Amino acid sequence: MLLPDYYEFCCRVKLIAGHDALEKIPELLAAKGARKPLIITDKGVAGAGLVDIVSRAAGKLDPNLVNDSVPPDSDLKVVHELAKLYQENACDALIAVGGGSVMDTAKGVNIVVSENATDLMAFSGVGALKRPLKPLVAVPTTAGTGSEVTQVAVIKDHDKHLKMAFGSYFLLPDIAILDSRMTLTMPPFITAMTGMDAMSHAVEACYCLQKNPLSDAHALAAVSLLYAYLPQAVNNPSDRDARLSMAIGACLAGMAFSNSMVGLVHNLGHATGSVCGVPHGLCMAILLPYGLEYNLHKREEAIAGLLLSMAGPHIYKETPEEQRAQKVISLIRKLNDDLHAKTGGRHARSLSEVKDRDGKPAVPREALPQIAQAALLDGASVYNPEETDYEDNLMVLEAAWEGKPLDRAKVKKG
Amino acid sequence: MARVREISSGRKPLKRAYVAMFLWFTGRAIQAAAKADNQVKSEFEALPENFTFSLGCLPDGPWMVVGKKNGVVKYLGGKLPEKQHVRLAIKNLDAGFLILSFQESTALATTRNRLVTDGEVPYALAVIRILDIVEVYLLPKIIASLAVKRYPKHWSVARKLKGRIAIYTRALLGL
Repeated sequence: MLLPDYYEFCCRVKLIAGHDALEKIPELLAAKGARKPLIITDKGVAGAGLVDIVSRAAGKLDPNLVNDSVPPDSDLKVVHELAKLYQENACDALIAVGGGSVMDTAKGVNIVVSENATDLMAFSGVGALKRPLKPLVAVPTTAGTGSEVTQVAVIKDHDKHLKMAFGSYFLLPDIAILDSRMTLTMPPFITAMTGMDAMSHAVEACYCLQKNPLSDAHALAAVSLLYAYLPQAVNNPSDRDARLSMAIGACLAGMAFSNSMVGLVHNLGHATGSVCGVPHGLCMAILLPYGLEYNLHKREEAIAGLLLSMAGPHIYKETPEEQRAQKVISLIRKLNDDLHAKTGGRHARSLSEVKDRDGKPAVPREALPQIAQAALLDGASVYNPEETDYEDNLMVLEAAWEGKPLDRAKVKKG
Repeated sequence: MARVREISSGRKPLKRAYVAMFLWFTGRAIQAAAKADNQVKSEFEALPENFTFSLGCLPDGPWMVVGKKNGVVKYLGGKLPEKQHVRLAIKNLDAGFLILSFQESTALATTRNRLVTDGEVPYALAVIRILDIVEVYLLPKIIASLAVKRYPKHWSVARKLKGRIAIYTRALLGL
């Protein structure tokens, strides 16, 4: 194992996981001295009846303090409106029920109400927060983003077309509740891509520059759970054990990557999402094998180590040492193939297979240079083991568009 | 929360002098590279007018400030301006010495949380790319390979040679 001379690891979120974990909410809030929480969610989550489940489990929540106005992308105006609602009703805690946007919005609201701020943007960047915020309980409704245990939030100012990032240990939620009931209704296609999002967090955590023994421990445990239970959750959405295992796997992956950071897969994935509007999880699924191939010469041992978590000791032992890393890449491609078959082709395996809502190709080949350029503006490249430039980005994107393995002889090695 | 006075490290005059000298020369070299190297030129062209960035050590320097005005890139000395687009701050003088004497690469320093980046990410990434290119010109391959993630083996000999001569000459003469 590669032991760094120096590393940092922090995850101080209290985790409650189980098939009936939500029932602990009143006790947990009381322990924080909170009695009047504001519940933040979005219309999709509320419409699926998930807030009702939380409400029933947590004891009757005040319907006036349940707000589902969070848009698919976070929004600065909504953050300020929700902060006003919090202050007008003298709330004393926040419960975020949803995916990444809801979590980010709740973190933004928490900054405004805790700092009594008039403008959230005054706290953008890393290190602007200097003291603990109000109690925040995160209840994720997907098994993917891991934002219930991450210290960042991204809020969009739609008027100014700006995307502002906030980073601080104080943004970590106080409590994360992983309850299998929250993901039982998620359709197979969404389960597949959010699950691969979590897988990309865990795998990238194992090879990126800030990796360390503690992030490795979390990442390897995550890979093991996600690889075993993702096909099961897609095959049988009502399998409560598979759902809980996925939620725990995604959470472990979140803990891992928020400490080790992510690299090329996220770098190109963010750019593909912003240029062509492809869902993040789908980008992650498609690009993950390419991130491994691109960095193989720098991180062969770490990638080979994933085989034990994925395939178990028997296959690990039977695979010659020099073939283990390649086997990991093959297994991830095979997982994508299986998910493609199980979702009736909706889980794309290459960028050329991604379709928009009208069934037209979402990533035209002509868009690849624009994506390669956009990737130069994304910070994930800093933590990738191998350097990347425009030509490297384009080479990887072209292979991912065609769905062919990367020609590793063309990778410029540093 | 009570106000806590930030404690400065000891003066460490030799390390301070080395870091100050390195930053002074690198600032002038960036100004030179903006004229002599097409890639650095195009990176600066993509940055906004009046763009300013700094690199230096917390809590009290030394610093290097570079800015762009009317399309011309200039080394602006060691005094931090009130407003700047990007600040790359090394957490203390000892860490600054480690990084700037190439005992630790910029990437490794970032992962070890020794380098704090303030400002918009795309701008900060452009500054890092510029610094990497300038380091490749200024340093012999064996040392530059320690400073950057990937030494640009694919650069032509002509680019390296012409660039080095132009940048060293301009930096020494302050052109």
